[in-house]
Amino acid sequence: MAEETLGPLPAGRHGFSREQVAHNQRERLIAGLASAVAEHGYREVTITHITKQARVSRRVFYENFEDKEQCFLAAFEVVVGYIRELAAEAVAPIEDWPHRAIAASGAVLSFLSSEPDLARLCLVESQAAGPAVSARFHEVVHQAVPFLEQGRAERDRGRDLPPTTEESTIGALVLLASRKVAANEAEQLDDLLPDFAEFILAPYLGAEEASRLARPPA
Amino acid sequence: MRALPGKASRQPPGPEPVSRDEAAADQRRRILEATADLVAEHGYAEATIEQIVRRARVGYATFYKHYADKQEAFLALLDAAVERTAYVVEEAYDGEAGPWPDKVGAGLGALLALAAVHPGIARACLVEAPTAGPEAAARHEAALKHFAPLLRPGRKLNPRQDKLPETLEDTLVGGVVWVINQRLIAGEADQLRGLLPEALEFLLRPYVGEDIAAREAGQTEVTSA
Repeated sequence: MAEETLGPLPAGRHGFSREQVAHNQRERLIAGLASAVAEHGYREVTITHITKQARVSRRVFYENFEDKEQCFLAAFEVVVGYIRELAAEAVAPIEDWPHRAIAASGAVLSFLSSEPDLARLCLVESQAAGPAVSARFHEVVHQAVPFLEQGRAERDRGRDLPPTTEESTIGALVLLASRKVAANEAEQLDDLLPDFAEFILAPYLGAEEASRLARPPA
Repeated sequence: MRALPGKASRQPPGPEPVSRDEAAADQRRRILEATADLVAEHGYAEATIEQIVRRARVGYATFYKHYADKQEAFLALLDAAVERTAYVVEEAYDGEAGPWPDKVGAGLGALLALAAVHPGIARACLVEAPTAGPEAAARHEAALKHFAPLLRPGRKLNPRQDKLPETLEDTLVGGVVWVINQRLIAGEADQLRGLLPEALEFLLRPYVGEDIAAREAGQTEVTSA
């Protein structure tokens, strides 16, 4: 991730405009928070941890953020935005909803298993980072509901599914992923794609078809 | 209120004096209830011992006689609440003489009713516990594990039972807990009982298929209306 590739800004005249430097500093603080939280956990992390990782001064921190909660929220938004882009890219070339759902789940899970620190930031530490972050977390998770609801069009039976079906489905999978990450098993999330995909598809396609699509023969 | 030897009969009439043990138990109960309410209202990090002793109407000395710090009180609350919840849910499940889907309905109904009656405790244990440090998070995780064995017998009802994913029970429990959490966070504890039919259908569907799950859920709706 960015925090490993960013060195300190060169001192003296470097030809960057004030805005460019400010933008860069903000990004460094966000990356610094991510590594500091990975090392100490949100509750224990201090502004000094963050500024040390970011190699900027405390003054710069307070020019950009009011407190560590606000900095965390910014980092959370960056990671969520990135995950969303990955999912959008994964579904873009696919027409039918079941395969789009599988591709989106696959993109999210493979990101989470390849970036366990960021997975922890999003799924575990976010729960400890105060009410504003927690509210935002729930909002973000619920943004997946309309995408899942598209599955209702695939159903060939007259009866409607209960209204909380999608909320329960996405919540079930987010909680399962959070538990894996909290147990330091983020790397194994990739292996759960067939289980996740089958669970998402089953209410709409029936268990057998869901299993067939989610577990294609190798 | 110790009576002098031989003078017991001169005690004023009125309610039985509570024993020292009972008084201590009552103090602990008040402290834990206050802890639950304040953690539910402000979050674990923001709740203070000062608020807890005030709400519990005990002195600081009494608090520290029972608990070393806020975390110890919160962990004691979690232990008590998890034990009570497991007992109530398993009792309802075991007490239901009908087939497995009815047992799940009884256990789930008991869980939702308990959370509806004690929303502060439910919120403290379900929503706040994972954020309150590693010990509390571990207890939360252990608590969720109580429920999977109650669902597992449903596998026998499924002709594809050997194809059901290993993670199914954990996933289903998470779905119900998530929906409960959303209502608690929104301050809509009064709607928890009404979730029973939908949540039951959600739990049964992977084992018995949609038609039976919906029928069972529909019956629950009729009897609880």
